[in-house]
Amino acid sequence: MHIHALIILASLIGINSATPTQEEEYHESLTLRPLRDGKVATHFAFTTLIRGAVPRAPHSLADDDVSQHYTLFPLALGQILREYAITELHLNLNAGQWDYDRWGQPGEPAVGSGAELWVWMGDGAPTSVDARWKGTQNALAGLFCTSLGGMDAQRTTSPTRAFPPAGNLPRLSAPHTHRLRHASLPAESVCTENLTPFLKLLPCPVQAGVAALLNPHRLFDADWHGLGIDVRWIAGKGVELRMTVQAVFDPVRMSSEGKRDWTLRSLFGRVIPRACPVASSSRITVDLPADGGFVLLPDPSEIYPTSVAFNLARGMEELDISMHWSQEVRFSYPLDLTSTPISAISVDRTLKGASQTHGDLALVLRNNLHTPQRVLYLETLPWYIELYLHTLSVECGHSRPYELFGNLTYTPPVPHGSPTLLQAELILPPHERVRVAARFRKSFLRYTEHPPDAQRGWDLPPAVLVPEQGARARVYTRAVLVDLATPDFSMPYNVIIMTCTLAALVFGFVFNMLTRKFVVVYVGEKKEGDARALERVERSPSKEM
Amino acid sequence: MDQEQPPEIKHKHISSLYFQQPSVRRSILIASWIVILLGVPLWWFTTAIERLPLPSTARLAFWSTDKLEARAGGRDGYTVEVVHGLDHPVVKSRHLSVPVHEAVARLPDLLLPLVYPYAAGYRRGGLEHLVAQYAPRYKLAFTLLNEDAAAGKAITGWDIHRSIQRHISPVLHRVSALHNFTIESQVHFHSPLAFEPVLANFEDGPIYGLTQDDLKVFVNSAEWSLASQVSNDPVLHFIVFVPSPSHTPLRILDNNNNLTTANAFILPQWGGIVVTNQPSDAPASHSFSADDLDGVFATFRKQLLILLGVSELPLEYELADTLISDWQLDTLYRRRATENIASSRETLESIVKLVDQIPNMPVGEDVNGDFQVALAALEDVAFTLYSFAAYHACSDSPELTLQNSARAVTHASRAFFSPGMLALLYFPPEHTYAVYTPLFFPLMGPLVATALREFAAWRKEGKQRPTNAGDEQKVKID
Repeated sequence: MHIHALIILASLIGINSATPTQEEEYHESLTLRPLRDGKVATHFAFTTLIRGAVPRAPHSLADDDVSQHYTLFPLALGQILREYAITELHLNLNAGQWDYDRWGQPGEPAVGSGAELWVWMGDGAPTSVDARWKGTQNALAGLFCTSLGGMDAQRTTSPTRAFPPAGNLPRLSAPHTHRLRHASLPAESVCTENLTPFLKLLPCPVQAGVAALLNPHRLFDADWHGLGIDVRWIAGKGVELRMTVQAVFDPVRMSSEGKRDWTLRSLFGRVIPRACPVASSSRITVDLPADGGFVLLPDPSEIYPTSVAFNLARGMEELDISMHWSQEVRFSYPLDLTSTPISAISVDRTLKGASQTHGDLALVLRNNLHTPQRVLYLETLPWYIELYLHTLSVECGHSRPYELFGNLTYTPPVPHGSPTLLQAELILPPHERVRVAARFRKSFLRYTEHPPDAQRGWDLPPAVLVPEQGARARVYTRAVLVDLATPDFSMPYNVIIMTCTLAALVFGFVFNMLTRKFVVVYVGEKKEGDARALERVERSPSKEM
Repeated sequence: MDQEQPPEIKHKHISSLYFQQPSVRRSILIASWIVILLGVPLWWFTTAIERLPLPSTARLAFWSTDKLEARAGGRDGYTVEVVHGLDHPVVKSRHLSVPVHEAVARLPDLLLPLVYPYAAGYRRGGLEHLVAQYAPRYKLAFTLLNEDAAAGKAITGWDIHRSIQRHISPVLHRVSALHNFTIESQVHFHSPLAFEPVLANFEDGPIYGLTQDDLKVFVNSAEWSLASQVSNDPVLHFIVFVPSPSHTPLRILDNNNNLTTANAFILPQWGGIVVTNQPSDAPASHSFSADDLDGVFATFRKQLLILLGVSELPLEYELADTLISDWQLDTLYRRRATENIASSRETLESIVKLVDQIPNMPVGEDVNGDFQVALAALEDVAFTLYSFAAYHACSDSPELTLQNSARAVTHASRAFFSPGMLALLYFPPEHTYAVYTPLFFPLMGPLVATALREFAAWRKEGKQRPTNAGDEQKVKID
């Protein structure tokens, strides 16, 4: 067999990623942001950095991997990254629709509902990128108890313009490049069984640090919640794992008096008992609402113009943060929420048409800024929604300014194979409403292509808008449900029985005709001279079937 | 007479029509039956489950374990030397030096632990059940578990590279002909126990005790994620458990709940665990250096040797080699080869039994292929062991035997666990009949009835022909 073990071990000292000299760092943070509509947006971020590490080179997949030694970085995830030589990985599991107009930009841009996975991988490995993409899905599905395995070729695209690498990509030898694989499952729900393995990847899961607040009972009761995993490589720094949890709580709903006051205990049902001993930094930031009149307890350790921060230090006491509006008897909802959006772009996507053969897809965008905005519009549609590209229209006011549309790339769908991918640039004039619409045809699916809950309809993944200036934070539209022609699923058995019966009837009829005996029967007395009247051909009842 | 003529003519006319001739009708009937009869094998063939014939396992019968023990891995070059002035036996490579005073009286007893360490009557504390099942590749997962790092005295890291190099790598190198190894390690900072250790008072103050029953449930598999899941290789776990200050000192109790000096234990075929109590004056957090870990990893090395099945020498023996003598290694090869042959034989036999028992179980190309390869590998083993030339000329026959036996066991278990064998297990033949009955049953009605009628007519015809040959009409009317 091999003497690899020793050689590999010997080679560990020096060049490889898992050298003793490598340092791992862990940072945790929690941001609480009271929103205009009385809700509180919370954003947990747990960042682990392996200094000096590099992603596994794809060609090294042919050989045994070097031994992996991790201290703070989760081994279970690290081994998946090594096994499939993943350079960059982003997994998001969200439930609900993020309301950009009311809540503004989220702390993490990936808020599309359902599951979304995108991966950058180098090619040149003995196994193909697609095989590794499949393996990655299955490994992550096993790790997080999700059904990511449903991200097959029918859902996989490579939208490189909308999903550029978040970190750096290591240089590969000449013919090889990095490839992007992206897929989303809008119907995937997120629940406790996903959070439990997620928490197990954290160095301080439930007893210490800000992760102690992650109480599944409260988290999954929130109006909006989502989990995220982002792995990237930053040249000169190392491999960074960022695990995020976001949730939008509604203290008004939870309070019996209809107040928007909140404490950590009222939001999460827990407080922070002690600091995480291995965190290099651990801080809680509270963004201060603009309207004032609130009291924040206890005293923060740092004060900024629009926010305050608490640092969790070792040896700290139990920490509960509370914010209350003492003058307010009852929270009154601002009535101008929809007319005064706080996001740069308002977006709405709808499907129209009641027929089972055709429909209209409409995207309505509104630029809320005083300057024109250029956005990249990405639409991924499953193959059974066939977009008629010639019907694509742009409407702004009463005109149809096609010059707003540009730089369009379109990958037509392959029936039963791969999805449609449409990427285009749109210019949004200031304070204008732009409507993009197209007709589509609904395909007729094969019997076996229907999911078990076919009557529910088919979820179309959210469209993505990427502003081309500023932070380039992606904006997700809502995921829509499309109704396709659905058969009666007891049909095959009915068909079998029906066909059999018909076949038997036809056969019986033909066979009887072929083997029937005809005889002459004389009815009554024989009459002279009129032989024809006496003659009748009749079936013999005693013999025939 | 004239008036009776026309019906007579008409009647004759009907019966003499071509399609009303009995021969035509009979040939139609026969043709239908032929189509049905030819169709049945076609239907049978297209709805049958693919079951390739498995080779007979009768020739496996002679692989009784006793014969194998005696034969496997024969090698020349074992020497025993009687040396003056020696007070205990010394093993070096394949050479045993025996002191004079023991040579005559106890030579067989002295050789037994080397040659046949697991034979009946020589069980050293019954360690055999701890040995992990053979696998061509093991994953060694080292885990440092802090019961509760946030409570203080946390171990935030360990110099595992150096410790593995110092203690584990030499062992892995020595047994590299048997197994490949993958190593991984991680540190956990919060790993609660699933039970509460008993608090007991002894002379040197209160201690938290782990009873023998606690040890069995020590691993809290619901809370601890101990190894990565990316491969299917069996995992040998090695765990350093650092109890929290509220459970320090944590000690192992014996069956009578008395304190033992042990701080480590083996879970059979699973791995080893070492409990390291932190001194009361330990800093709030620090990391283990390689020197701190020397004791722990020496224990891990011992546990690894036991789990891999390396026979232990009796205490009186002196081992002149490092770690494992060639003599022990040969014994291990032989043991593993025997084990593999026995287990692959059992697996192959159970495949045959299973396939015989369940008529719906498909046996595809892959299962058949793996089965053949496993059988061929077993035959290679037989060739190595029984051929006279190989026995003497091939100096590395233990390794070769082992490799062939490993091949046999790998393919046999792959055939056994082939998912293709389960494909149609839940589609019983009744379903096939249920689907086809609505077709076949109504079809058979007219066919059978017409056949019976024609048969009856034909017999009647045969009886009547000699007596009343001319009167066909009567027959027909009947």
